[in-house]
Amino acid sequence: MAFYEVFSHPALVRYRTGVCSKATLFLLVVLCLTYISPLLVAYRSQGFWIKRSTYEEQPVVRFQYETLLVAATGTRGDFVAWSTFPHLNNMLGSNLRIPAVSVREEDQNQDGKLDLLKFQLQLPLKAEEQVYSIQLLLTFNYQLFRMSTVVMQSLAFVQHSSPVPGAKLLISGDLRLQQRTPLPHRGLYNIYNVSVVDGSSPFASSYDLDTIISNYYNRNLTTVLSCPMPVWTVGRAAGSPFELNAEIHYPVEVISYRPGFWETIKFAWIQYVSVLLIFLWVFERIQKFVFQNQILPTVPVLAGKPHLS
Amino acid sequence: MSALCSASTLLCLILTLDAQTTNEPNTTDIFNTTGDTNITYNFTESYTTVEPTQSPGAPEEPSLPTEPLPESGRLPIADSPVGRLCPCDTHRDVCDINCCCDPECISQEVSLFTSCSVLTVSSSTRLCSRDVALYTLRNAADGRSELQTSVSVETDYDLLCIRSQNRHDSFSHPAPVTPTDRNFEGLFEQFTSFVFGSDEAELVSLTELQTSSGYQYGDVVLTAAQGEHRGVMLLPASGLTAQCVDSPAAFLVDQHSLCSQHVILDRDCTSSPALSMDTFTDIQLLSGRNAGAAVVPVTVDSVTLQSVSGTQTELRAGSGGTLTPAVMRPGLCANVVLKVFYVMEYSSTGDIVNATVSVLLGFIQKTSLLLQQEFHITYVQEDGGELAIHFSGNPGYVSGLPLESATRTAQGLSRSVGHFLSVFHSEAHQDCLQGPHQRSLVLFGLNSQSGCTLRLTDTFNCSLLSELLLSVLRGSDPAQYVALFGNSLLDNPTDWLQIKRVSRGEAAGCSVPLSLHLEIEWTKYGALSNPQAQIVSIKEIIQTNSSSLVSLTGTRNRPHIVLPTFNAVRSLPGPFERRQRRPAHQQLCGIHTSIRPCSPRLQSHAYHQRQAAL
Repeated sequence: MAFYEVFSHPALVRYRTGVCSKATLFLLVVLCLTYISPLLVAYRSQGFWIKRSTYEEQPVVRFQYETLLVAATGTRGDFVAWSTFPHLNNMLGSNLRIPAVSVREEDQNQDGKLDLLKFQLQLPLKAEEQVYSIQLLLTFNYQLFRMSTVVMQSLAFVQHSSPVPGAKLLISGDLRLQQRTPLPHRGLYNIYNVSVVDGSSPFASSYDLDTIISNYYNRNLTTVLSCPMPVWTVGRAAGSPFELNAEIHYPVEVISYRPGFWETIKFAWIQYVSVLLIFLWVFERIQKFVFQNQILPTVPVLAGKPHLS
Repeated sequence: MSALCSASTLLCLILTLDAQTTNEPNTTDIFNTTGDTNITYNFTESYTTVEPTQSPGAPEEPSLPTEPLPESGRLPIADSPVGRLCPCDTHRDVCDINCCCDPECISQEVSLFTSCSVLTVSSSTRLCSRDVALYTLRNAADGRSELQTSVSVETDYDLLCIRSQNRHDSFSHPAPVTPTDRNFEGLFEQFTSFVFGSDEAELVSLTELQTSSGYQYGDVVLTAAQGEHRGVMLLPASGLTAQCVDSPAAFLVDQHSLCSQHVILDRDCTSSPALSMDTFTDIQLLSGRNAGAAVVPVTVDSVTLQSVSGTQTELRAGSGGTLTPAVMRPGLCANVVLKVFYVMEYSSTGDIVNATVSVLLGFIQKTSLLLQQEFHITYVQEDGGELAIHFSGNPGYVSGLPLESATRTAQGLSRSVGHFLSVFHSEAHQDCLQGPHQRSLVLFGLNSQSGCTLRLTDTFNCSLLSELLLSVLRGSDPAQYVALFGNSLLDNPTDWLQIKRVSRGEAAGCSVPLSLHLEIEWTKYGALSNPQAQIVSIKEIIQTNSSSLVSLTGTRNRPHIVLPTFNAVRSLPGPFERRQRRPAHQQLCGIHTSIRPCSPRLQSHAYHQRQAAL
């Protein structure tokens, strides 16, 4: 006659012992090991508290229509310059050369954020002049909204020189965000919402490129024009202007920020609990082994069974 | 998916509503057209996102046309049949070439087409089922083209498509706001936040009259120029480039500017105002900004003439009028302004009470050059006596400021010339024996190095050479003491540290100094939150030649290189640690000046600051 398992159920066994006993001590040790060790494991394996996290956002960038242009027109230090700052233009005197400028900002993917700046500049030159180098400074209004609201004024600076006089310069690059320290996770961050170039100042020192650039790079948050391949076209025809075409893209940026309290806790909790589960399972087995085999003296009581004594 | 959508109408309704209320002003397009290059044409672009803000209780606006667009440019409404839309129809009443949807094209013209520039015109891609007008050209048997037009219904199986939309403007940009008297300012600000020429308005305020009488810090110093207009005191400075531009002088802002002036000798020697002394001395300043301000003429304190070789002689002030640039002989222009020093005295109410100027004049020899000019302006308070002594820190040294030095005299300590420690400065001629030598200040915290080359002939006087080189290295008036703190006073001799002089190297016979190495050890002193730099020891190590100089001197100036040794950081001596509460950092600042016997290579110098030559 064959037997088969017709039904099964787990039986609960209670192990009783006094308060001051080896089993109590063992239980305390096991509890400590179960709950504290995962914390140590998670913490010592690095990355328990996240200090820095990143997110992606396309910034809202607007060209501020502030421009500063210096072009070396000779090898002996001659130059012509132009800016949108009237005080500087007054100071430049005979070196002022007003170019024809056209600017267009495009929203290519129709998402409401501008993606591209097309800046075209035609610098008229006299017969004896040739362009050997170009320095161009453009200022931008730069805004981020997703985590902390960042409003700042930033700049793009291009410098290109060549021993051969040029006819055209094409600059095609990205306006990239540079961070030294991560941004806060919320709040308004507008300490850099000040003019990069003080256009209201009548003093020459305000327009010194050295000062402008060194002050700018002291900031935590800057933008830099990444243009790995400027194209310098030679062979300018007599009487034709020097052309400068810039295409500056406003790409999606990966921005690092310091996570807030709940985000930090959330990631710590995930790490802790995932390690804790392993420890719970292991120590459950150890406890079962110890008490089932009566390695520590306890009184096992089968649940549901009435006391005989 | 369409079946799923129709099954759960409620879900689709929610999706429809959601799609309609999404606040993306520029993503809705009226219809899409797909050409043979798959370019999507967008007919309207609008950045209008705000609705006209009108308060309900406001009085009735003057009735303006509600539809600002002219009749001819009217946009097609969103639910136009796709068969009537034609994005490539850009010529009125004329058939557009290869535009298959152009209703003006008759069959004879269409038969000449080779392809259709627009192949499909469809309504919004977000709809689950949409009308699509297809235009295809078929080659007939005679080689001519025949147009086939068909409008079909295309079904989208996207999960999140819109099954039906009943809102009128859902696929359109919001209608442009009609400008009225009330919202004009807001619209103007919104759309003209950044434009060219937004800075122009600020130009006016330069010489505007102000209510307060005196100047304030940073105000432009005014001059009583000819006629009605007030002028501005101009002080050349380097602007965008190293060339001089005329920048206004700012009240209470001490300025030191070095800039270059492009000079073509024949043209500019007598005519250029930038070279003439009068430009900088003949100035009538206004004592204040108000209308009744007194006129303060700039008085000439001294005029110094620098010869071609570099020697300077002071001319008596006021003797023989002003010196104007003049061509002495072809290719030599005399009395050219090289340096200008203004000292402005001001009162506590912000008035300029006195202004003096010192000028250094010199010669230009080249026919065309960039002439370097130097301009200083210093503001001194009235009754403040002479120029106040500049301390290099209070009390501890500030990095980047010069070290205070002194010499011992019979009366006690006295500040040495320029009262700062200085070292030899590298020059273009690189010759150690060719004077006069420039000295550069030893700046606190900055390690630096400079050098020159020494060329010896077979016949040289050893003791004379040794003495000469020592004076080149140490300077004409060598300092003996250095202040412990940046603000040490001469009255406290304990605040001054004697320079320990060490001589190294031994050579049989003639021994000349080849390098001077200054080791300045300093420590941080005082509270942790505000540590003060204190100099704890200063040592001058003079390295003499270790081998016989005879072997260094070749027959024909054969180069022989002795590399200068430069010591690294050394730990601080012990006794001072007891005096400090907590020695946080011990650092060492090394200054090295070396003489290289006949080294053909240029030596780099780490910093460049020259003492005032006047």
